[in-house]
Amino acid sequence: MLDLRMLDYVYTGWGAFWATMFMFVPFALMAYWVIRRKSLVDTGPTGLQPSEFAPLEGIWLTFAFIFFVIANLASLKYIPWAAASASVNGEPEVQVDFTAKSWSYDISNRQIEAGKPVRFSGRASDTQHGFAVYHPDGRVLFTMLMMPNTAKPTSVVYTFTEPGKYKVRCLEYCGIAHHAMQDELTVVKSH
Amino acid sequence: MSIASTIVNGTPIFGKIFSVDRSTGLEEINAWPALMIMSSFVWLVVAGLLGLVMPTTQIFDLSTDHFYTTLTLHGAALTFPFSFQLMMGVGLHRSGGCVGKAVTGWLPALSWLSMNLGAAILTVAVLMGLKVSVVVMFPLPLVGAQMGVWSMESVIVGFTGIYLVLSCMILWYPLLVLKMMFFGKKRAELVLSERSLNDPGMLGMLLAAVTLILTGLPLVVVGTTLLLALYKILPMSLAAWAAEPVVFQYAFYLFAHNLMEAMALMVSSAMYATLPLYLADGSRKLYSEKLANLALWILLVTSVTSGLHHFITFYPNQPAALSYWGNIMSWGTGLGAAISIFTVLATIWQHGLKAGPGIIAVLVGWALYILDGASAIVTSNIVWTYQLHGTMWQSGHFMTVILAMSMMWMGVLYHHYPVLTGRKLDPALGSLYVKMFTVGAFGAAITMLAGGAAGMPRRFAAWNQEGWMIYGDLIMVFGLILGASFVVYLYNMMKSREISAPMGELARA
Repeated sequence: MLDLRMLDYVYTGWGAFWATMFMFVPFALMAYWVIRRKSLVDTGPTGLQPSEFAPLEGIWLTFAFIFFVIANLASLKYIPWAAASASVNGEPEVQVDFTAKSWSYDISNRQIEAGKPVRFSGRASDTQHGFAVYHPDGRVLFTMLMMPNTAKPTSVVYTFTEPGKYKVRCLEYCGIAHHAMQDELTVVKSH
Repeated sequence: MSIASTIVNGTPIFGKIFSVDRSTGLEEINAWPALMIMSSFVWLVVAGLLGLVMPTTQIFDLSTDHFYTTLTLHGAALTFPFSFQLMMGVGLHRSGGCVGKAVTGWLPALSWLSMNLGAAILTVAVLMGLKVSVVVMFPLPLVGAQMGVWSMESVIVGFTGIYLVLSCMILWYPLLVLKMMFFGKKRAELVLSERSLNDPGMLGMLLAAVTLILTGLPLVVVGTTLLLALYKILPMSLAAWAAEPVVFQYAFYLFAHNLMEAMALMVSSAMYATLPLYLADGSRKLYSEKLANLALWILLVTSVTSGLHHFITFYPNQPAALSYWGNIMSWGTGLGAAISIFTVLATIWQHGLKAGPGIIAVLVGWALYILDGASAIVTSNIVWTYQLHGTMWQSGHFMTVILAMSMMWMGVLYHHYPVLTGRKLDPALGSLYVKMFTVGAFGAAITMLAGGAAGMPRRFAAWNQEGWMIYGDLIMVFGLILGASFVVYLYNMMKSREISAPMGELARA
């Protein structure tokens, strides 16, 4: 039986890397083999007619289509908006509001309980900014893009599972001190 | 002698590399493309040096100001006056020879002038202090001036430069392509390899030109309004709508995204035109022209709206429906790529390949483009984009698409160079270039994707944390190999004038 928990890893940054390699490496090996063989080893025409390629063409395009559909369908559960719907049916959301300005954040609450869905709602007051929350091990959990003068705040729902210090960084270039635009959230055990 | 030939001949070093062969009577399709290609390589040298400065400032802990200056200049130089201009030059040369029409008159002159003058003016603005990155990040230019980080004069100069560059890409160049395809008389003496619009080698050129005009027009309107306001010709109250960040950003990205897609259409078309010329059995036929054209149409239709994936993390300001749409359309471009993969490999398998540095460079560039495409569709998925947007992944994707297309055009240039200049290139040096480029480009691309997966931010002057510097060091190493490969490429062209006699009429053959 396929363990669907592995999808938790697939839909991370490193999962994206390996998904890219899953698409690229077989193609690269096949392309290298075909080009090398037909330019160095056996350079002559094969004499095959296009109709003889047709079954392979069908298999290849069907495989690509099915892979694309599965990769996207399986991701639906991890969409932060889907998580928002799920949280409405369970634990009440904790609201964290923030404003991003060059080059700092004004955050309503920097201490969060693990296990409770948190709705982050943010605005930018001057130029474009980002709000990316990093796990203590260095990976990005989610990032948000804010622009000034929007009708609604940018919004994401996320449930932290582990206590620790979570860095916040701006990932939208916002000027000469962009790299210094950082903050920190503390996630504590649930009471 | 045409003005373009005069400028090429009068340019030190590069002028000797690209001096136009006038003995074949093809100066009318050679001169302006040669000037554009020569100018693109001047900008490549500038972009390459600036590219190496970025990791250098991080490794040696130099001022972050230098990093953001070179970030803006490197990206701009690599994307517009190098990559786009190279494509413009080789593409126009190919079109001229395919439809038998001269590349002369005010449109090629305006295209070349607006691109290079615009890029030079933008460079001046950045040196005046404007550090807004290649994608402008509006309203950062105005906010920076309000905060006193840079002057309003630098903003006005910078916008003037950007406007000129955009006018080349959105108006002058596409109009020139359309003019050559649909207007004017064909001249038999200029036909080198006749093609019709049913040929995938020409269809891509047309689709790209139309894409550039249509998706660029909103940005032209927004940009013109802003520029008129900056010059105080229009009151700011009338330009306020264009200065809304959401308005500018959507107009900008829907064009910028399709600029990349248009360049992909053009380079795919160039590959479909070039590959058959190197088939071992001399058949000069793709496995299926219909399938090749289908891939181009799928790429066109899906890519026009797939740019919505740039704003997925802007939810709910970008409605979820549009993000899903951008997600699905982006993966739709992957279907076009899958068809393209099958067409190219089946063609080679069916007919055999006369491998030379030019066609291998095209195929290596194409393979790099497939890697880039895979990374692009992955990061267009809503879930993955929430973890990758704004990281080094995106820089890797952007750099890779530019490098892939440039490599393909540089491969196509191997085919065109003898016609342009009447000289041959050394295959051994060509082969060395391809090997070095392959190591440098794939190494840099995969390193940047890995850096993004590890959370390393893009456009960020503090890599020395969280263990990210290892990616920075590797980017430097692969960047040096990449830079060395370009030196080999240019050296090959410099050396060609010494080892080969003028080809004269052979060029036409």
